[in-house]
Amino acid sequence: MKENIWSRMLNLDRRWIFLFIGVVCIVPFFFPFGLPVLPTAHVISIFDYVENLGPENAIFVSFDFDPGTDPENMPMAVAVTRHAFSRHIPVFFTANAPLAQGMLESGLAYITNPALEGYFHVVSWQEWAQYRDQGITERDQLEAAWEADGNVLPANSSGWVFEGRDFAKLGYLPYFSLVILGMTSSIASQYPEDMNGNPLVEMPMLQEHKSLRDVDLAATFSGTAACTWWITYGREKIGLPVAFGVTAVSATDYTIFIQSGQLIGQMGGLRGAAEYEVLLQNAGYFDKPDRAFIGMDVQNAAHLLILFFIVLGNIAYFAGGFHKKGALLKGRR
Amino acid sequence: MYETIGIWTAAIFTLAVYSFLYKENPLYRLGEHLVVGISTGYFIVVTYEQVLKPRLIDPIANDGEYILFIPALLGLLYITRFFPKIAWLSRYPMAFIMGTSMGVGFPLSMKASVLRQLEATILPLYSAGMPWQIVVGNVVLVLGTLAALIYFFFSKPHKGPFFGTGSKIGIWVIMIGFGATFGFTVMGRISLLIGRIQFLLNDWLGVIK
Repeated sequence: MKENIWSRMLNLDRRWIFLFIGVVCIVPFFFPFGLPVLPTAHVISIFDYVENLGPENAIFVSFDFDPGTDPENMPMAVAVTRHAFSRHIPVFFTANAPLAQGMLESGLAYITNPALEGYFHVVSWQEWAQYRDQGITERDQLEAAWEADGNVLPANSSGWVFEGRDFAKLGYLPYFSLVILGMTSSIASQYPEDMNGNPLVEMPMLQEHKSLRDVDLAATFSGTAACTWWITYGREKIGLPVAFGVTAVSATDYTIFIQSGQLIGQMGGLRGAAEYEVLLQNAGYFDKPDRAFIGMDVQNAAHLLILFFIVLGNIAYFAGGFHKKGALLKGRR
Repeated sequence: MYETIGIWTAAIFTLAVYSFLYKENPLYRLGEHLVVGISTGYFIVVTYEQVLKPRLIDPIANDGEYILFIPALLGLLYITRFFPKIAWLSRYPMAFIMGTSMGVGFPLSMKASVLRQLEATILPLYSAGMPWQIVVGNVVLVLGTLAALIYFFFSKPHKGPFFGTGSKIGIWVIMIGFGATFGFTVMGRISLLIGRIQFLLNDWLGVIK
């Protein structure tokens, strides 16, 4: 077939497309459009559920992803954790794989880094040992006693988080589906100690929430089908409320669980995380949204470019006559 | 200091991996192999620190819990895969794991993934006072599910008003599903790129906040 503009368009070197996408993904960081991000029902339902919990409740935040899906899953996990910390909801952190445990540590390091505006100041298990010895374990009493002893919250911090009272790092265990099943009877039977070797049974939050039956929500952030373990072994066995934060690629696979009432809600990809960040800002927890929101302008620009290429490709396909039988084979290099 | 070294290393290898988009090269290969190697090393260290040491080695060495030798031996049998003459022994731990997983997981999986989904499609198409949007949604859901199932029913030729039309509607339903998945896939891939660009521009170069 004779070479013309249409055949040249269909045979465009894909590296040009990579270059365009690269440029489009960099420019909006410097010149943001500020397009609004409107939260959807599936994300609002998770936010509202967490919003109705307090210090007397407890949730699981499970980092069930590895570095491959970090850009999508991490902002979701960070957003839900910051929400829970703001409301003093005790959080059990788990991970379904060794690399996921690294993600858990990375996520907590981000949330508790003083360089982050609105970070949470960690008080380690050892640091508040004397208050435990005095029998002070109730959340508000503990904070009051801690501050009465001259500890001052830094100006850019959103609050204290006491290890063992506000959060426990359970970490990774193999065959995690069976670990979930075991935790429906007893959390301590699966995790006698936390990741740092602290005795879990002595932690006030475990004494108040001994098994998954005493837990009010399991939020799993996952890049694989491992998130469904929480439904299979948690939701179906004991009725544990479950929320998903999944990669965009798998978002459509799990929407069925919302329709069937097995999920409270679902965050899909970076967009889902950005929606949660907007909800946190609207509720007055933080002055500005976090990283996922910043990425949404870039996402919009990249999508527009991809749409443009799809339209252009289709114009070239039909205008060049490639839709006729056999024409494509002759016209493509 | 260590953080700076870490950021520089991550940035250089991010660029090395993206250099594949131009063409395959040794730097990309190096990055690819390092990911596999370091991940495996990290996996082994975490498994030892988090599982083997506190749950096997310490209890045996410090508390005399010798019964743990039984699961340890079962675990060690996996290694017989490397010795063809006794490789059959590795089937014992596998059989144990498979049996346990099937026994524990099958009833719950059936309930979670099959029965609940069946239940969710058994809907009233219309009842008094139901908003019209819900009626339309329920009709689409029930007919769409039936049509997609007809498409995968191969015991009858896809001809006639029921099987013919049903399978045609079914293929449309499936294609719409694929389209939604494709859209989300594009979004996901771009999100991963955004994550790396944020890292390069913010953490490495510090030119954005």
